[in-house]
Amino acid sequence: MEKTRKWRWGINRWFVLAFIILGFIAARLWPPVLPDIRLPAEVIFHIGNFGWTNTMTAMVIADVILLIIALIVRRAANSKDMIPRGFSGAVEALLEVIHNLTETTAGRWTRTIFPFFATITMLVLVANWTELIPGVNSIGLIEKAAVGQPGFAVVQSFLGPTLTPEKGEYTLVPLVRTLSTDLNFTVALALISIFMTQVVGLRALGPKYLGKFWNVGGFFKRPIFGVIDFGVGILELVSEFSKILSFSFRLFGNIFAGSVLLFVIGTLVPVFAQSVFLMLEFFVGAIQAIIFGMLTMVFMSQATQGHGDHEEEHA
Amino acid sequence: MIGTIGAGLGIGVVVNGAVQGMARNPDASGLVQTNMILGIAFAEAVAIYCLVIALIILFVG
Repeated sequence: MEKTRKWRWGINRWFVLAFIILGFIAARLWPPVLPDIRLPAEVIFHIGNFGWTNTMTAMVIADVILLIIALIVRRAANSKDMIPRGFSGAVEALLEVIHNLTETTAGRWTRTIFPFFATITMLVLVANWTELIPGVNSIGLIEKAAVGQPGFAVVQSFLGPTLTPEKGEYTLVPLVRTLSTDLNFTVALALISIFMTQVVGLRALGPKYLGKFWNVGGFFKRPIFGVIDFGVGILELVSEFSKILSFSFRLFGNIFAGSVLLFVIGTLVPVFAQSVFLMLEFFVGAIQAIIFGMLTMVFMSQATQGHGDHEEEHA
Repeated sequence: MIGTIGAGLGIGVVVNGAVQGMARNPDASGLVQTNMILGIAFAEAVAIYCLVIALIILFVG
């Protein structure tokens, strides 16, 4: 057994102290201003008639990060060493947790359902965690403020033109804005998720899957309860649409509220207070990614089971 | 703001049931925890709807 070293105060506390002092100085020299909080994503530049918004930049960044992760993990998986180390090991641990969850819930259909769960989780995870990188949401283009919105004055500093908290006419349009704060992204992901749930259900049960919604079989067996079954079928149809809304607004609301919280806290208490909320956002981003994927997986495995197999248990 | 009362109570009820289940049957901890996270997500989503409507009222129109 190796000899454990006695724990001693290390060098990292000096780094933290240095950063806090740097934060004080920076907050004095360049005091932060409240950014313009807008619900739709802001357009950075135009390509012909098409506006490229700042969330599209975040989407490209998230895709590139995911591709790099995939290449790193693939190289580790193809090497002769059976145990991946370091970063690939962490990714493998995450995917193993997801795979075990899928196996306990879906059973036979794990091979179909697992890619959706894993892809949605990884994409939403990377998209949510980009708002923690310094520079996102704060570095951008200075534009004239719209009528009725608060504006700030511009001061030249060695970083370039910077906003100061005096009344003026300019506001900041960030170059990169968190992808999940764009309602387009969340609604699109929810539509894909629910649509593929129907596809998986049709693959599993065939046309009988539509009997879940249009439930007229009960009319012949038990006439009175058949009407109730029919009503339940129509309610299931309505609930599919409400699932789309619920998926998209859950992710959007959590991440948008988190980014607004970070802005406001960063403006009110510029030194060190935002770090605590960054920890909270880290946690919330991870949880929301897993929840999105897990709900997709649960709905898909419910779709493969249909009405008759209510008693199916997994030991 | 009033909408968050419901979410707080709801999440409290879910976690109450989950913790009692875990206390009665510690072997089923993993299963109970998974379903607890699922239940918390559903209950929290309703509070998030309330927040989104507040944001819409504040920032749009």
